[in-house]
Amino acid sequence: MTTGTSSAKSSAAACWSCGAAVSGEQFCAACGKIQPPAAGADYFALMGLPRKLTIDPGELETRFHQLSWKLHPDNFVRASEYERALSLERSSQVNDAFRTLREPVSRVEYLLAQAGMRREGQQKQQAPPELLEEVFELNESLDELRGAQQQGGDAPEMAALSRRLQTARVNFEEKLGEVDRELERLSAEWDRELDAGASESSQRKLMERMNGALNRRSYIRNLVQSVQKELAEA
Amino acid sequence: MGRTVGIDLGTTYSLVGYFDKTAGRPQCIPGPYADTLCPSVVSVDADGSVVVGEPARRRLLTQSARTIYSVKRLMGRGVADVQSELALFPFHIDSGSQNVIRVRLGDRVFTPPEISAFILRELKGWAEEFFGEPVDRAVITVPAYFNDAQRQATKDAGRLAGLEVLRLVNEPTAAALAYGLHEQRRGRVAVYDLGGGTFDISILKLVSTGEGDIYQVLSTNGDTHLGGDDLDNCLLVIARDEIRIRHGLDLEAHAETMQGLRKAIIRAKHELSSAARATVMVPLPDESVYIREITRAEFEGLVQPILDRTMGPVQQALEDSRLKPSEIDEVVLVGGSTRVPLVRRMVEQFFGRRPHSELNPDEVVALGAAVQADILESGVKNMLLLDVTPLSLGIETMGGVVAQIIPRNSTIPASAQEMFTTGVESQTGIDIHVLQGERELAKDCRSLARFQLRVPPGPAGLARIEVKFLIDANGILQVAARDLKTGEQQTVEVQPSYGLSDAEVEKMLEESIEYAEQDFTERQIIEARNEAEAILRATEKSLARLASEAPGELPEAERLAVNAAVSALREAVPGGDYKLIRARVDELNQATLPLAERVMNRAVSSVLTGKRVTDV
Repeated sequence: MTTGTSSAKSSAAACWSCGAAVSGEQFCAACGKIQPPAAGADYFALMGLPRKLTIDPGELETRFHQLSWKLHPDNFVRASEYERALSLERSSQVNDAFRTLREPVSRVEYLLAQAGMRREGQQKQQAPPELLEEVFELNESLDELRGAQQQGGDAPEMAALSRRLQTARVNFEEKLGEVDRELERLSAEWDRELDAGASESSQRKLMERMNGALNRRSYIRNLVQSVQKELAEA
Repeated sequence: MGRTVGIDLGTTYSLVGYFDKTAGRPQCIPGPYADTLCPSVVSVDADGSVVVGEPARRRLLTQSARTIYSVKRLMGRGVADVQSELALFPFHIDSGSQNVIRVRLGDRVFTPPEISAFILRELKGWAEEFFGEPVDRAVITVPAYFNDAQRQATKDAGRLAGLEVLRLVNEPTAAALAYGLHEQRRGRVAVYDLGGGTFDISILKLVSTGEGDIYQVLSTNGDTHLGGDDLDNCLLVIARDEIRIRHGLDLEAHAETMQGLRKAIIRAKHELSSAARATVMVPLPDESVYIREITRAEFEGLVQPILDRTMGPVQQALEDSRLKPSEIDEVVLVGGSTRVPLVRRMVEQFFGRRPHSELNPDEVVALGAAVQADILESGVKNMLLLDVTPLSLGIETMGGVVAQIIPRNSTIPASAQEMFTTGVESQTGIDIHVLQGERELAKDCRSLARFQLRVPPGPAGLARIEVKFLIDANGILQVAARDLKTGEQQTVEVQPSYGLSDAEVEKMLEESIEYAEQDFTERQIIEARNEAEAILRATEKSLARLASEAPGELPEAERLAVNAAVSALREAVPGGDYKLIRARVDELNQATLPLAERVMNRAVSSVLTGKRVTDV
């Protein structure tokens, strides 16, 4: 681990090297030097894509490759320290953008985070009301299994508990699939709204629904993971 | 400015390569023994002079307390990490070691990066001798699954050896680069790399674009403590136990015999790659001989559990790349241990296709490093490597839980911004603990570093410090912090958990100048002469022994051949031509092979008939 200082110069209107006018391009048109990234450019813009949630994976990858080809630190090994820092900043942004936009779920999360609607740590705690009963049952089974393990429960009892958990796991995995399909539908709706030039308040409402779906998804996924872990240990 | 080379700094062997522009392909550079493989063995003399490579390896048998091998296993690790290995590796860890191991060689103490630097400096010498020009920059390969501390230790070693490290490249990625260039292949490639001490699996996608070829790593996994060494140790433990039972001898007290046994076991392992059976034969300190035949079937039965440990990472890497074994277009084998037929069968069975091994599995990584070195040096690019970070990066939060901020298999460079604020009033600092690993709790992950953010005094939650974590193209973490209220950049004093601070490296660099100034050629001459002396002494002893015990057993022709080789070597020793001395040492070695066999056979037959010769 080394200590570094990132280049904090924000995008100026003039090229840092030759002084020609620049406005957020990767390279100065006049002298060809790499430029600092524009402040607040979002991942969609960075990849040259509209803020839509349906993304062709092939197209995203092609853009990722094109940008990497130009901005990767390999190209700047012999350049000045400042240019090397810019390349590091620019290429890491491209990689972060690719990683985020590649997955449909992280794509939606990113869109909502940009709109200030998603904060880390807020979405995981509460059980969605419609799942309360099933979650209660599941937690009971988990407790029983743990208790039985601790007391060295007999084999038939353990097997029965484990079967109950298996059933619950399948059930919640199905629910996870349902949420994913819901997110897909909402994503398609978002794209249609953007195309139709929907009002800000209507976009906001849609985002609220996406946020709800994401919270549900994250809750169910945690459940599935803890059941999987418990079953693996049993 | 000097030249740039590619270096494979391996557990067992290290190599140096360059890109031959005339031939249009990478080549490995041979050393003074005309071999491209430099044993990763370092030995330190009583006078402080350092011996590296083949002559150091020979000293394992005679001066084991001054000689170290497999030092790569110690890179970037703390004393607590290596306890289990100390039973099998004769590392003399200095008692003062904690989070940076210090190894005792004779009466000197070194850190693993310093020892690795000796190997790098040796290879630098090979290349300088070969080019007739100075070499000052290098691309060095590391196991893909190396963590931050292991990478930083490798980079420090480069710096200590007087090399600017242009890039650390992951070994399987370098191999894929060499293969892609050689075979002109495209598609999805799995690289299975089982070396002397480390195992990596990488899944790559090779894409041709309008500008050039892109080698994009999709996922990687591995085990930085799994390799050919472990196969050797498995056999070593068995042999050691058998010797204790059958001969009543505890080899713990006989380091040199232990090294002799290890050498014989490695030879047998190599033989079993092509033969159905092999024999381990080692003279013991009590003048008896340990003889043990091993069949390939027995060998495979013994090492299967070790090799099975490679399959977990293989499955995880595939899962992470969201591919099924059948979706892999090519499988490439890298590393000396993939010569073991069982490895080939396991890999072939898993992927359902015959793996490639056309390129020399010992050289392929260095060849790839040489290609990358050329791209970085010349600035002419026709290909691009996009590698990933092997381990998730996280920070410790409340209750010792890790919050993941950069997931494993993210293309590097990769970054994450985190906002920090104060929890209580008048708090002046925020402690941050950075970790690497996949587990939920900080105590189960690898601690990378700790640092403290300074905050201006004020009410709780008012401060806004943005910390940027960035994994650079070498897979090494950089940290920068900014006070969002003032916009001021904050210098972060990072204390690495397992590594040397900049000041320590700087100090070592000063101290290492005495080693750097030892002239390469002069060193080679001294080493060659020492070797000549050793073999001349050994030859005389064997001749005398045979003459006294079995006069007339040595045929006249053999005796004449040995004598001729002895005189030829004696003539060469006073001269300054180390290559000639080495060539004559090899000739004498050849000439004395039948002699050595006779001495050994006599020892064996005396054991088999229950008799003991007085002086074998």
